[in-house]
Amino acid sequence: MVDKTVRCPNCGRIMTCFGNPGEVIKITCSSCYLEGKVTFKKTFQSKNIAIEVTNLKKKYDNLVAVNNISFKIKKGEIFAFLGPNGAGKTTTVEMIESIRQPTAGNIWIDGKDIKTSFNDVKEKISILPQEFHSFEKLTVKETLVYFSKIYKKKADINNIINAMDLKDEEKKYYKDLSGGLKQRVGVAISLVNDPDIVFLDEPTTGLDPKSRREVWEVIASLRDRGKTVFLTTHYMEEAEYLADHIAIIHKGKIIAEGTLDELIYKYGDESILRIQKSSSKKTANILKENGFNAYTEGNGDIAVKIKYKERILEILSILKHECIEYENIDIRRSNLEEIFLKITGSKLLENGE
Amino acid sequence: MNLIFVFHDLLANIKGWLRSPGTVFWTILFPILLILIFGAIFSTGDEIELDLVVQDHDESLISKEFVGTLKNISGLNVIVLDKEKDPREYMQDEDKSALLAIPKGLNTTLIEYIETQFTPTEQFDDTINFILYVNPSDQTTISILRSIINSVIYKFNMNITGGQSIFGINEESSITEDFGYIDFFLPGIIGFTIMTSCIYGSIERNTKFRKDGILRKLLTMPITRSEWILSKMLFMLFLSFISTSVILIFGILVWQISIKINLFVILLIIATSFLFSGIGMIIGRFVKEQETADMAGGAITFPMMFLAGTFFPLDQMPDFLQSIAQVLPLYYVNEGMRNAMIYGDFDKTLYFTGFVLVFSAIFFIIGVFLTKWDED
Repeated sequence: MVDKTVRCPNCGRIMTCFGNPGEVIKITCSSCYLEGKVTFKKTFQSKNIAIEVTNLKKKYDNLVAVNNISFKIKKGEIFAFLGPNGAGKTTTVEMIESIRQPTAGNIWIDGKDIKTSFNDVKEKISILPQEFHSFEKLTVKETLVYFSKIYKKKADINNIINAMDLKDEEKKYYKDLSGGLKQRVGVAISLVNDPDIVFLDEPTTGLDPKSRREVWEVIASLRDRGKTVFLTTHYMEEAEYLADHIAIIHKGKIIAEGTLDELIYKYGDESILRIQKSSSKKTANILKENGFNAYTEGNGDIAVKIKYKERILEILSILKHECIEYENIDIRRSNLEEIFLKITGSKLLENGE
Repeated sequence: MNLIFVFHDLLANIKGWLRSPGTVFWTILFPILLILIFGAIFSTGDEIELDLVVQDHDESLISKEFVGTLKNISGLNVIVLDKEKDPREYMQDEDKSALLAIPKGLNTTLIEYIETQFTPTEQFDDTINFILYVNPSDQTTISILRSIINSVIYKFNMNITGGQSIFGINEESSITEDFGYIDFFLPGIIGFTIMTSCIYGSIERNTKFRKDGILRKLLTMPITRSEWILSKMLFMLFLSFISTSVILIFGILVWQISIKINLFVILLIIATSFLFSGIGMIIGRFVKEQETADMAGGAITFPMMFLAGTFFPLDQMPDFLQSIAQVLPLYYVNEGMRNAMIYGDFDKTLYFTGFVLVFSAIFFIIGVFLTKWDED
């Protein structure tokens, strides 16, 4: 699903609507009730799909670890697979990496069925396994050179070292690095063959917040370099910060999927837009007349309940139209944690439980 | 003193110990293994019989009585050899530790001594010596036989002369070169060293690398199992040749051991590396946790090093343990190394090397076949 902001040609009201590529939807202006159509251009093409998974299942005796999941990952995006420990994230990614055999289902990487053609895609992918620990007695540079020798296509090692900000550490032994630096080296290792697709399995588990942020920046830079990133994580804020597309997995099933905005729109509670120190005492009433659920709080701020992003521009447009000034606008929206709690009835804790 | 803390700390240590299978094994089973192995090796539940070959060149009453005295000693198996046979050749062919040659002239010397007793002015200063041919690599057996023979000779001297030694003993080596215990021991150490480094090296590749995610990463890279195994085997060979060279250099410098380096020695080092790497791969296939795999490696290497004739010759052990040795790969490695680099026995070298090559092919092929990187 994608979002599109449109302006009513009659009254000028700005509206946000959602639809699928190739879809034409009817909308009605909430102000002047003018009816119209919005066309969502079809930008999705199969050649833009990096990974496609259909009806994937993994069963061990009586335990179904992955239960009939399907998803697609577009080229150049960061796709986050979010869920607690034991949800089936690593099992899923290991099946895509061909380390585990699926019980059922199909997996294509770059258009190739991995059951028959996995060797053809090995040059194009790279993985950073969970809790990866490289050879302790090799230096950072030696480690990168070692792994690069396995591939036909090789990226420039010095460029990788500079890009990952490892210049000061290139002569240090792997065993002497901090946790955050080891993960950075792990990401660097995954770039030695200049892959199209990078799999990162829980890359920041166990890191302190500062190191985690540093690794986030590194992962975000992969997208800037045109890589497709398949990221598994149990950290909500990591998925929120990095992911272009999120699939929430719980007990082997994908329970929600979409961009962050889509998930919040579909599953989240209403966001609160707060107008601080409004110049007009009639602000709340004016907004109510325009169909908003607005009220004045005890401190004089105007609170408006909205679905995130949908009508923010409308509100700002109304305030401008009515010449209402304000000191500040604050938006508090639902987050993934609240969405997860709402869907599953349980919290996803920091430790992944 | 906070005894409550002391108690709880003790409890925590016991819990930690109980939850670590490897540690429990080594604490409990290790002494049991030691008792069983060494007890079986050195126990005298069934009396150990030592062979002593006797060659009577005198064939007199006194020599026959001497042989009869030896035969009456319990635990001594006297084998009478025809006097025409070459003693050294017989000892090598029959793998005997000792041969006592009763010299011709024994009876004559005795008569001469008796005659001098009737002539008070004459002194008898002559001595006739028995010849004891010994295999110098079997010092334990030889020392026992030596003391038995010396005591019999002493008894004869005392009975005949009342104190004067007219019968003596000389020792000669059954092998043209003079070998000591270190000549026996050094090849065993080479075999043992290669065994432990290759088994534990293979185990580490399968367990630690799996735990560190390296095997998982390799599975998604354009590298085949054959390439990986080949590179690891080359490294194992590198280690094997390094350790062998160090042992040989020290043997030469410190004990002046005479070493023969030939094609068989090279072949044995290579085959032994493949053999025990294969065993390590088999262990790593079935035991994925490193701690447990190390324990399994110890359960195999520890008994083998004692039962395969690494530290002492097999003929000092009970028959049933000697039979067990025949199925242990390290036994053939040790004997192959000894004959190839020390004794220079071509036939035996060929025999034992053949077994090592067969063992190495079997275990390495099985190990490669069973090695898996995937998680299922």
